[in-house]
Amino acid sequence: MNTKAKERSQIKVITGNAAAAIGAKLARPDVVAAYPITPQTEVIEQISSFHASGEMDCELITVEGENSAMNAVMAASLAGGRVFTASSSWGLVFMYDAILATAGARAPVVMVNVNRETPGIIAVSSGQQDMISTRDSGWIFLIAENCQEVLDLVLQAYRLAEDYDIQVPVMVHYDGFYLSYLSEVVDVPFQEDVDQFLSVLKDQPQRTTLKPGKKLGCGSHGILGGYLELRHKHVTAMERSKAKFDQIDKEYEEIFGRSYGGQIEKYKMDDADVVLVGSGSMCGTIKSVIDEKREQGIKIGLLKMRMYRPFPSEKMIAALKGKKAIGVVDRSLNFGFKGGPIYTELKSFESKLEGAKLVSFIDGIANTDITKENVGKMIDMTGDLANGKDVQEVTWVSYPEAQGGI
Amino acid sequence: MTEKKKAKLTPVLDYLKHEDPFAKGVAFCPGCGLELLLRFIPQVMGNDIVITGTPSCSAPVLLGQNNQSWHKLSYFGTLMTGAAANATGLARYYKKAGIDNTVVCFNGDGTAADIGFGNLSGAAERNEPFIYICYDNEGYMNTGVQKSGTTPYGATTTTTPFGAASKGKNLRRMNLALKMAMHKIPYAATATLSDLGDLAKKLLKAKEMKEKGFCFLHVFAPCPTGWGAAPDNTIEICRRAVKTNYFPLWEAENGKIRMTKTIKKPKPVKTYTELMKKFKFMDEEDHKILQDDVDYEYCILGGLSVLEAECQLPLPADE
Amino acid sequence: MSEVRFHGRGGQGVVTTSKILANAFARTGQFGASFPMFGFERRGAPVTAFGRFSDKPVREKTQIYYPDVLVVLDPSQQNSDAVFQGLLPDGMMLLNSSEKEVDVSHENLKKLGVVDANKIALEEIGLPIPNTVIAGAFAKLTGLLDIEPVANALEDYFEGSKLEGNIVCAKRGFEEVALYEF
Repeated sequence: MNTKAKERSQIKVITGNAAAAIGAKLARPDVVAAYPITPQTEVIEQISSFHASGEMDCELITVEGENSAMNAVMAASLAGGRVFTASSSWGLVFMYDAILATAGARAPVVMVNVNRETPGIIAVSSGQQDMISTRDSGWIFLIAENCQEVLDLVLQAYRLAEDYDIQVPVMVHYDGFYLSYLSEVVDVPFQEDVDQFLSVLKDQPQRTTLKPGKKLGCGSHGILGGYLELRHKHVTAMERSKAKFDQIDKEYEEIFGRSYGGQIEKYKMDDADVVLVGSGSMCGTIKSVIDEKREQGIKIGLLKMRMYRPFPSEKMIAALKGKKAIGVVDRSLNFGFKGGPIYTELKSFESKLEGAKLVSFIDGIANTDITKENVGKMIDMTGDLANGKDVQEVTWVSYPEAQGGI
Repeated sequence: MTEKKKAKLTPVLDYLKHEDPFAKGVAFCPGCGLELLLRFIPQVMGNDIVITGTPSCSAPVLLGQNNQSWHKLSYFGTLMTGAAANATGLARYYKKAGIDNTVVCFNGDGTAADIGFGNLSGAAERNEPFIYICYDNEGYMNTGVQKSGTTPYGATTTTTPFGAASKGKNLRRMNLALKMAMHKIPYAATATLSDLGDLAKKLLKAKEMKEKGFCFLHVFAPCPTGWGAAPDNTIEICRRAVKTNYFPLWEAENGKIRMTKTIKKPKPVKTYTELMKKFKFMDEEDHKILQDDVDYEYCILGGLSVLEAECQLPLPADE
Repeated sequence: MSEVRFHGRGGQGVVTTSKILANAFARTGQFGASFPMFGFERRGAPVTAFGRFSDKPVREKTQIYYPDVLVVLDPSQQNSDAVFQGLLPDGMMLLNSSEKEVDVSHENLKKLGVVDANKIALEEIGLPIPNTVIAGAFAKLTGLLDIEPVANALEDYFEGSKLEGNIVCAKRGFEEVALYEF
């Protein structure tokens, strides 16, 4: 991350949840729907308090369940409003039908999902399984590493979702517990700067909206040729969103002085022989271990995925090709496959990686901590692979009982 | 000649102030109660309503699913699970943006009473500013006649078929309208197609009352195809449903119930069931159960409607 | 970077203590990160929180296994193995205790601070919530902070008379903590 010094700032020590709520407030949504679930609850509490104090002039719908939250913001979005909601885990999957419908209707909804484990019912714990369970919904998925990035991504998500050339809903993911409850230093943008950043959308053509008496239908999906046209446009819009996100990241830097690299962030990648691929809060820990390992002369780098859907394959291939070995760290499972989800997806591009070898690490599920020791172990194993040693394809780092493969 | 024609107009036609926005030849079965209702609503309430529809019998027409004859209304096609939440989102955004609106959330009994009841109840509890109209054909008709929560005792459907161990649905129907009235919303009412003047009044009342919040209309709408009835009997079925007290007509403001039509000498419910094949396996005993259920529900309604005048707060136990 | 582990019970403001300190570090241009150990939070149940304080941005997002400093708000845990687990050599401990002579020992413990935070809090805010006293005492024990940023940080968590009372708590914690070296 390049940090350009700004002449003014508002430094606050806030949680990831508060950062999400403040991000939403700064975007001035028309309609917010709210339903509590651990570890997201603080987001909607904060928004409710902003609403109660008059700081946030929105229609706040305190729905009776997450399914209604998504349905309400989808409709409000298609009517022309800017919307926000937040969920996690079982809440996210309870809104799954509406999540699909929202993508299908190309409603530019923005939400945050505070990653939490499923399918354990009372797994009130970290994990990205909820993200994996919803990855094929036709949404754009972005992932934050720290509280600052949560706030920044919420603002960037509006630019991406509501862009006239995109019009695809965006979900900003951040790790439950590790970021939701982490209080850290966040530079909170000024409202006028946010207004300026988002004003680009006002200069674009108006998207089609549903208004009384307009003789227009939406949400309807034809069975015949129109359906193929709609879905093909949806897929191509998602492809366009990759470069758009990179561009938005640059524009964000011009105003706020913070850039993260767009679809992916490369940390000490240029001369690296060995690379870990990660996402979310684990990346901070990985960076810190990389610095220690580099002091020992190990050429290791990190590729941080900031965009997960669409899959940033071109950027990843360009950054990873020719490396000796790549360890992919997944905080989730890919049922039906041995390796983790991101590993399995990257594996499908293996032939383009010019001989780079891939291994899968699974860690951080259900509050198992991705410790510095664990990261060191992953780096060592990936290094062994680079040096031609035999390394098992999949390692459950915090579950030694699984050693020797699955 | 024109004068004479005008003189013949019934009061019902006076309510039809707006164009019928539906094309001719829409994809409904002959005698469909839903079609009559769907054409009636915008003619009374205006063509500037925003109507939401779900996958159901209304979908082929409302959602233009079959690329056939269509309509000219603004509509929002959605899922059965969250229709009331969709209507909430629309109405709230229009409110925020200062846009005059009448959002009509139009659903069958499957959505209203079963799969979408949670969000219907939630919207009512929050007093959301829109009108929810349930057309009750007592089952899942679009998927081929399956039982729903409003399917009455004794009715056969494809999921409560007649067989050696079954004579049809062996459970009593839920009273959706009464449940909604108990949410103490500004306006709840029942209506049906044999009493169009009453229906029109209630539609207009709902349009007025939605300024105060949530309005719910429960409209009894026969399905000749699914019920095994002659297509030209739809209105007669409605009439007898009212005259037997099988479907009483009432309204409730803030939960206070008032009958809008009282039947002095209610006919036996058998005079209603005999019009439909879905009840053909019912014997005398079954009819007694259904009749008891009808009488019981009417008794509750009657009790509630007089309660306000006579009711006193319960006295403490020791007095 | 200083890694601090907080031990207390629900209702003592354990998590808030670490937040206040992170906030205070931010006010000096440094960086702080604070988070609770995960679990269902209930009044009276043992609570653990973590704090990382540094002059550089804090990147690690893991629990703290090898703390430099232990902060014990609940005196009943003062000699528990769980509290001392992983304490690094030259470690410090801040203890909330009403005892005149405290019986605390660990091979890696170099410096101990003891303050009767409940008593001070009762006197100043009328409630036995020790967290702001502890935050002030932390500044004195570790020498990482002056009392001013700690007092200033309180304005993000309290207002009105509660703010004033808690500022006094923090200042008294800073002044009244008894320090011992081993």
